[in-house]
Amino acid sequence: MIVPYGHVLVLAGIIFCLGLTCVVARRNLIMVLIGVEIMLNGAAVAFMGSGLLWQRLEGQAFVLFILGIAATEVSVGLALILHAYRRSGSVDPDTYSVLKG
Amino acid sequence: MMLSFNQDLVLVFALLSVLPPLFSFGLIVVFLRSSPGLSSLVSISAVAVSLIGAVLLLLGFRRPVELSATWIVTGHLSFPFGFLLDPTSLLMLVLVAGISLLVQVYSVGYMAADPGYSRYFAFQSLFAWAMIALVLSSSLLQLYVFWELVGLSSYLLIGFWYEKFSATQAGKKAFVMTRVGDVALFMGLLLVLLHTGSLGIQEMNGSDMASRMSPDLLTLSALLIFGGVIGKSAQFPLLTWLPDAMEGPTPVSALLHSATMVAAGVYLLARLFPFLSHAEAAMTVFLTIGTITMVMASTMAMVEKDLKRIWAYSTVSQLGFMIMALGAGGFFEGTFHLTTHAVFKALLFLCSGVWIHLYGTNDVFAIGRRGARRLKAPMICIFLAAASLSGIAPLSGFFSKEAVMGALAGLDNPVWVAAGLLGVFLTAYYAFRALFILALPLKEEKGGGDEKPALFRTMVWPIIILSFFTVVLGWLEPFLEGFLVEDVNIRTNPHSWVVWASSGLAVLGVMVAWLEFGRKGSARIGFAERWAPVRELFAQRWYLDHAYELVLEYVVYRTFAALCSRNDQKVIDGGVDGLSRLTVAGGRVLSHLQSGALRYNVALPFVIVGIVVFCVLLV
Repeated sequence: MIVPYGHVLVLAGIIFCLGLTCVVARRNLIMVLIGVEIMLNGAAVAFMGSGLLWQRLEGQAFVLFILGIAATEVSVGLALILHAYRRSGSVDPDTYSVLKG
Repeated sequence: MMLSFNQDLVLVFALLSVLPPLFSFGLIVVFLRSSPGLSSLVSISAVAVSLIGAVLLLLGFRRPVELSATWIVTGHLSFPFGFLLDPTSLLMLVLVAGISLLVQVYSVGYMAADPGYSRYFAFQSLFAWAMIALVLSSSLLQLYVFWELVGLSSYLLIGFWYEKFSATQAGKKAFVMTRVGDVALFMGLLLVLLHTGSLGIQEMNGSDMASRMSPDLLTLSALLIFGGVIGKSAQFPLLTWLPDAMEGPTPVSALLHSATMVAAGVYLLARLFPFLSHAEAAMTVFLTIGTITMVMASTMAMVEKDLKRIWAYSTVSQLGFMIMALGAGGFFEGTFHLTTHAVFKALLFLCSGVWIHLYGTNDVFAIGRRGARRLKAPMICIFLAAASLSGIAPLSGFFSKEAVMGALAGLDNPVWVAAGLLGVFLTAYYAFRALFILALPLKEEKGGGDEKPALFRTMVWPIIILSFFTVVLGWLEPFLEGFLVEDVNIRTNPHSWVVWASSGLAVLGVMVAWLEFGRKGSARIGFAERWAPVRELFAQRWYLDHAYELVLEYVVYRTFAALCSRNDQKVIDGGVDGLSRLTVAGGRVLSHLQSGALRYNVALPFVIVGIVVFCVLLV
């Protein structure tokens, strides 16, 4: 491995945290969904690095699964967002506060 | 008459006598509710077929036969289901079928134009079927099933006029009070089953039974079984349901008091007689209960004004006589008295029913005033029946009562025979008190003429047939004894003085009744009615009902029911309420975690996980 494993993990962590920040901070549901995608990719980078380190195929297989799940998640998520928009006329997650305790 | 049947033919006849009333019940309930004429026809012909089967079985009887098939097998226990045809059951079978038939024919007249006519005959069929099947049962479990069916059908018939509140109450009382005894009976059966593994009547009556159960257990199970008899045959202390059962139609009372229902108790006792006679102590208890019941019920009848209730008390007291005889070891005497009593008691009720139907009242004085004596046939027959009840020669009651007295006189303790003789006197007194009031009223209402019920003939013929048997049954005593008891010589030596004493006392009772109620210018007040406290005691049935109410109030309602209700409210309700309150409160606390802002809820787990990981790494 040319790149040290520690660097790969740091990169994965940075991508994950960027995605998390996007999810938490943005006020648009579509951007939140994109944030989730970024978090998934962060995890995928970590899997990829691990697979390379130990020379095992499971890492790559997991990445393939993550890609598939991400695709389905986007389609379902977009449908949900569309529905939520039609119901409330807004895509701002802060307006969805019916369950506030 | 030398008929001889093979096994198959016997089975056919047994089925022939059991099944028709069941079919008739089903047919009437399902199809014939709206055609009264047809339903009475079906019901009567069904029970007539039963009677034919029963008579054929009786004539072809050679030796006891048990025909049974396996019903339930569980582990090492198996319960057969079948018929046990022996002298006792066949005699009872003919009696049940015969009296049911006569009562049903009589009912055609009595129940004419009643809105529940079809229903009445359906219940009559059910009753006949249950009793016939009970009589022929080969095991006690099977007997218990039909025992309960008999209870159910008498509940239905006692509460037949359900629009009347008192009738429904009486039906409920009969059902619940007999159930109290049945619980004891069932426990007795379980006890026997646990210790011997069998409930077959023949096995229980076998001679090795005493060695298979310890004496204490035998006594206990005998007493528990007797509990069922107390309930069913209205013995002390469960005797007040029977007088109340007079709320039903009169033919029902006739059936209930003679061959079915109350006879079932005594029949069970006679059926298990060899088994029960192993338990000496229990036999003494039977004797005591029978004596108490007999005297108590006779005194109640002395002050009663309701004609049917007088006969009801007399039934209770005669059942006491039978149980005394059985308790004294007189199997034949008790069974014989059961047989003769069934005939003359049915006769008494059917005769009384003619007037009750005609005048619409049960009051003896009112019936007498309305001119009861103008109906000659019932009047003559009721005199025959009452004389038989009092034990006046040469009617059937004389023979059976003399036999019972003989059995009592054979005991060491003279108290029993003295009580029996007192009972004979009281019986003759109250029976003829009622009859003199009926036949010789102080003043009779003019007019009315010779009114008769519309279907007078269908009502009179059963009465005449029963009168015939009342007269002749006594002469059949030697024949019946040879039939029921294999070894005739086992009877104790006849105590001839008892016959004279009991006949004398019966005549004395009639004379006293004549002096107080029959003689011209008599005050129509009995000696028991002169002193108010005694009259009240007898009229209130020795305050038995009040005692039940007290027991119910203090033991059941205030103790058990109150405790159960407390437990329900505090423990069960409190527990459920507490759990739900806890859930609600927990939900309220946890709901604060939901801030209403998505971002915080998403961030929270990451923050928490981050903190945890940080701590772990630090450590």
